[in-house]
Amino acid sequence: MRTPRAAYPVTWRVMDMLERLAAAVWPSSFQRGLPYLMLLPAVVLVGLLVLGLVQIGDTSLRVLDTNTFLMSEDYTLANYQRVLTENFFATVAGRSLMGSLIVTAITLLFAFPYAYLMVRTPSSALRKFLLVALFLPFFIGQVVRAYGWLIILGNQGMVNEALGLVGVPPMRLLYNYPAVLFGLVQYMLPFAVLMLAPALTAIPNELEAAAASLGAGWVRTFRHVVLPLSRPGLVGAGLVVVTLSLTDFAIPAILGGGTQDFIANAIYDQFFRTSDQGLGATLSLMLVAVGSILVGVVFMLFGAGTLAMGETRK
Amino acid sequence: MSHDKLSSMQIRRRTLLASMAAAGASAGLSTLGVSRAFAQEPEKPAEIIVRAWGGSWVDALKAGVSDSFTKATGIAVRHDLTEDNEIQPKVWAAVAQKRVPPIHVNWDTTTNATKSALRGVTEDLSDLPNLKDTTELAKPVGLDGYPIVNTYGYVYVLAYRPSAFPNGAPKSWKDLLDPKLKGRIALYNDGIGFHFPAQVAGGGKLEDIPGNMQPAWDFIAKIKEQQPLLGEDPDFTTWFQKGEIDAACTISTNAREAKKNGIELAWVVPEEGAKFDTDGLWIPKGLPENELYWAKQYINHALTKEAQQVWLDGLGLPGVVPGLTPPADLVDDPSYPVTEEAFEHLIRISSKVQVENESQWFAKFKEIMQG
Repeated sequence: MRTPRAAYPVTWRVMDMLERLAAAVWPSSFQRGLPYLMLLPAVVLVGLLVLGLVQIGDTSLRVLDTNTFLMSEDYTLANYQRVLTENFFATVAGRSLMGSLIVTAITLLFAFPYAYLMVRTPSSALRKFLLVALFLPFFIGQVVRAYGWLIILGNQGMVNEALGLVGVPPMRLLYNYPAVLFGLVQYMLPFAVLMLAPALTAIPNELEAAAASLGAGWVRTFRHVVLPLSRPGLVGAGLVVVTLSLTDFAIPAILGGGTQDFIANAIYDQFFRTSDQGLGATLSLMLVAVGSILVGVVFMLFGAGTLAMGETRK
Repeated sequence: MSHDKLSSMQIRRRTLLASMAAAGASAGLSTLGVSRAFAQEPEKPAEIIVRAWGGSWVDALKAGVSDSFTKATGIAVRHDLTEDNEIQPKVWAAVAQKRVPPIHVNWDTTTNATKSALRGVTEDLSDLPNLKDTTELAKPVGLDGYPIVNTYGYVYVLAYRPSAFPNGAPKSWKDLLDPKLKGRIALYNDGIGFHFPAQVAGGGKLEDIPGNMQPAWDFIAKIKEQQPLLGEDPDFTTWFQKGEIDAACTISTNAREAKKNGIELAWVVPEEGAKFDTDGLWIPKGLPENELYWAKQYINHALTKEAQQVWLDGLGLPGVVPGLTPPADLVDDPSYPVTEEAFEHLIRISSKVQVENESQWFAKFKEIMQG
């Protein structure tokens, strides 16, 4: 007797067919390879980056011939010698490194209470307000934000106008190192809060209540309970902020007035102003090296924080 | 009306339109200085892409050259506002990889263009008919033939806010060392335009460039103590407008633009002199034959007296075709040199010397300013 069509609809037959096809293409014995297959696109992308680095490494070993504006055929370490011996590059590298450390410290200091309040507040309205205030800057690009500061902090900007109302003459608030650091902190704050919030959410409320019930004040609870348990978030946020600050281009270029270059600005100059791709490539590799060493030291000292998802938190 | 009559009228109308188009094209091509017969001309591209600087710079190019070129040929001109130093590696990469370059014509500083010429990525422009009517300023110094055609000259003047100089206009670059100007002056962020006058202001000689530029570096080190702002063309106009600076070493066009926008501003060529340089047009290698032809026609058109007059009125700069009339506000202005006497106060160093030493000068300037 024929099975009625309604008992086994066409869609089921299609699904059966697809299943058989999938079984033929990807037998069950291959199941263990599925995670690796899903990893493949990311590996290919990273592999392309590595290829790019190899190319940059090759270029860094060639010098510019200013008679032909072509790179030399022979390999040489001249570019590395220049980078390691010329004062200008030491100044810029020192400024970038110091700047990224200062920005990281200040950003974490500001981000922590913000994130704590955001995850702990019982008021849903306040939480929403903090979230909106956090995400709003993401919709405004870095360059636009930097130009916003030019308008606010300029000689004829809002701040100087306000100071003028109380008799303070206009003062230079822009185009110096503090202005660059200020701009970077403002740019990095949302990143740090976003990295800290999950770590703080993971700390049970009850732990703080238990500490309080045992007589610990707010400061003691913060120091001995909240701060140690939020370390993974602090480490993760710190790593993100320090690497982004170290490699930033736009904020030093716009708020620095041309006198507060970071390494990325020096790299741009070599590639696009002097056409010296060899020197630009050398600086790029040095930046990658410095950033990697910095991150490696943090990993060794504090672990990877929230970036080490699968590991037991230290 | 019969069908035959209608057909006849349509044909006549089409014939008339075609004749008018041909006449218009012939008139336009005559303006361009094209001597070939219409039938021999290569196929016209829908558009040609010309890299240009933005703001008043591209407005002037459009008004003087691009619009009239489109009117004469029917070819649209698209202006690509990618920065000159950012388009350069793209063009170089395209030529090296034998790809069609991203632009047809590059409006470039002669120094920058010289690098491309030395690298061999520029087309030879020696066969442009209108070159015969140009002054020697059109010829790039230190290069064979015409890999670039210079189209005008410009001066890096000392622009200043008169209210900041109550005792009269500054006479020397040394006037920038006045303590009251601390934090109120600006230079280009690569030092361009300032090296050579700084050499003189520092007690050195121009003949010593590039062998001994210590006097220039010593003077620039003194200027560094004045905490100058360092920027690019648009920054100067903005900084003057926003009250951030009182004096700057900048191309006169930027100062004039700020003045047009209502800012109280004047400029001088100080007693040590001021750098005179040129900009030009060039064509990257690798274009299809027909597009190369029309790109050349664009540059040829830019060398006509009519195009130069309108273009350079907008920029306020002296051109390379004799007989141009200076804008009314720039008659006898030191930033618009037309006489030999006016050129005596200006410093011109060959582009080849500049490109050969640019990297070192740049590094030295940065070392002083970023220190």
